[in-house]
Amino acid sequence: MSLRSLFKGALLVTASAALIAVITIAGVLAFVFYHSDGGRSWDMPVSMISSALTWDGADYEFSGDALLGDDRWAILIAEDGQVIWSLRKPADVPEQYSLTDVASFTRWYLSDYPVQCRIRDDGLLVVGAPRGSVWKHDISTESRLLHDAPLWCGGIFLLALGCVLGLSYFVVRRWFRQAQRVRDAARSDWINGVSHDIRTPLSMVMGYSAQMEAAEDLPPDRRKQAGIIRAQSQEIRDLVNDLNLTMRLDCAMQPLRKKPLQIEGFLRQVAADFLNGGMGEGFSFEMDLPIKPLPQIEADPFLLRRAVNNLLTNCVRHNAPGRTIRLGARAEGGNLVLFVEGGTAAGHPAPAEPDRPLAPDGGATHGTGLKLVRQIAEAHGGSVQFGPGAHQALRVSLILPIR
Amino acid sequence: MAYRILIVDDESSLQNMVSGILNQAGYETTSALTCAQALEQFRAAPPDAVLLDINLPDGDGFSLFGKLRESRDVPVLFLSARDEDADRLQGLGLGADDYITKPFLPQELLLRLRSVLRRVYREDAPSARLGDLEIDWGRSIVRRGGEETALTAKEFTLLKKLWDARGNIVTIDALCAALWDGPLVGYENTLMVHIRRLREKIEPDPSHPNYLLTVRGLGYRLSREGTR
Repeated sequence: MSLRSLFKGALLVTASAALIAVITIAGVLAFVFYHSDGGRSWDMPVSMISSALTWDGADYEFSGDALLGDDRWAILIAEDGQVIWSLRKPADVPEQYSLTDVASFTRWYLSDYPVQCRIRDDGLLVVGAPRGSVWKHDISTESRLLHDAPLWCGGIFLLALGCVLGLSYFVVRRWFRQAQRVRDAARSDWINGVSHDIRTPLSMVMGYSAQMEAAEDLPPDRRKQAGIIRAQSQEIRDLVNDLNLTMRLDCAMQPLRKKPLQIEGFLRQVAADFLNGGMGEGFSFEMDLPIKPLPQIEADPFLLRRAVNNLLTNCVRHNAPGRTIRLGARAEGGNLVLFVEGGTAAGHPAPAEPDRPLAPDGGATHGTGLKLVRQIAEAHGGSVQFGPGAHQALRVSLILPIR
Repeated sequence: MAYRILIVDDESSLQNMVSGILNQAGYETTSALTCAQALEQFRAAPPDAVLLDINLPDGDGFSLFGKLRESRDVPVLFLSARDEDADRLQGLGLGADDYITKPFLPQELLLRLRSVLRRVYREDAPSARLGDLEIDWGRSIVRRGGEETALTAKEFTLLKKLWDARGNIVTIDALCAALWDGPLVGYENTLMVHIRRLREKIEPDPSHPNYLLTVRGLGYRLSREGTR
């Protein structure tokens, strides 16, 4: 899963969330607008109504019927609390008001009628709407809050954005991983199937070539050729095994069965099996273990055996016969370092054939043998290092944490 | 008497090859391509050991293994292209004597089969010969030129362990495990003493061993014919 595609996925989810938010807000606004009398607020222009009410010296004249509408009413309350003018005043609206009444209805309701007020020279003009037609509420807040509002709104917006981004990152990552798992399983099944199908024919190639190699009634050059076929088919077998295991490790499908291991005995057994299998023929072999016992480590013996075996096989493949292979271990700073070196030991004659040297990374970037060693080290929380060893040999070190 | 081995594999060409390898090594063989054939042959004439594939056309080797073992307790070695830990653990967990993964070398197959047969039928010969030395396993003595020398229990165990793997390196850890049933720590020097004493009994010149060879840093090897 690339970071770029993950980011694109997260951005897509965030954009979708933002779009949903915008549509919701727009919808709410449209709803409010539609239900506010076609865009006309109940909050009619009281100042205009007030202007329409004039005193002609004898009586009040009102010319704002059109502004007021049919369902509303109006009263004018004088300084002494007495209603001095009214238009369509409901019967349950009093004629006389105290200071307390005025203080109450200017903010809320007058006998449950929602009202609006305007102060005039001659008193207080009150315009009322039908009961239940308007919901009034009071908003009062500290000025500081309004002052800080932009900052708060911005902060909350960023927080929300962060939450959406974070959430979408995890969701998208989950999707990607699921998709990756499906792909990995398919890939692993395929490799598994191919390697399974190749094993039986390879058994026959290996079996018959080994028989021909051992057949004394065949001319020596034919036996030698059979030996080459046998050795090459063993290489194919190793390659298939490595490919299979590397795929399983890649897809996290290989369980780690860790056990406490006494490394000296373990390495001696791996080396003995390697040499007993005839793999080190033509090479001299040295074990390099300290006199003091090494600490135990927790490791999967099957995988670790495979890693050490691969390093030894690699050494044989990339060094000419006559060289010395050195296998050893050391405890260094909380780690156990297992190493394999291929090179000329003092006193040995120069090899008859030139070496086939490895790249400085030990060839770990191509081929499966050393890639597998690296994967096994990493599965144990360790690493692999390539560097010069004794006598200009390449040393490959497998560094494993002791605990 | 030659052991008779039943080979159960759905690939007739592989069967032919394995038969050839085993016949050449002195075994008698019978073959079956399916579970049904295998059961029929097994009941008609029980073999001494079975080489059993897992993927069979009319069933799987694991189930067949159970049926074979129900009727007779013969050694069974799985011989399969399935190399996953889970299969290997299942096979060995069921009680199979070995699990060999394809592809294999003929020599490897023979060694593992021989090791199982030796373990199951205790086919130890009463005596063995190492150059001009005769080893009498029953009496725990070695004989050279009419002169008999008795082996101690530890020397006998050491020699037996090396003889069973002759030609191959046996690590000092494996030898210690055979002698003391425990890890190596603390026993290296005692092991060396036993080796020296054993050499005195089996080597014509113990300071220049001809048979019991040291593989420095690893262990010991009993040569097949002697180095000189």
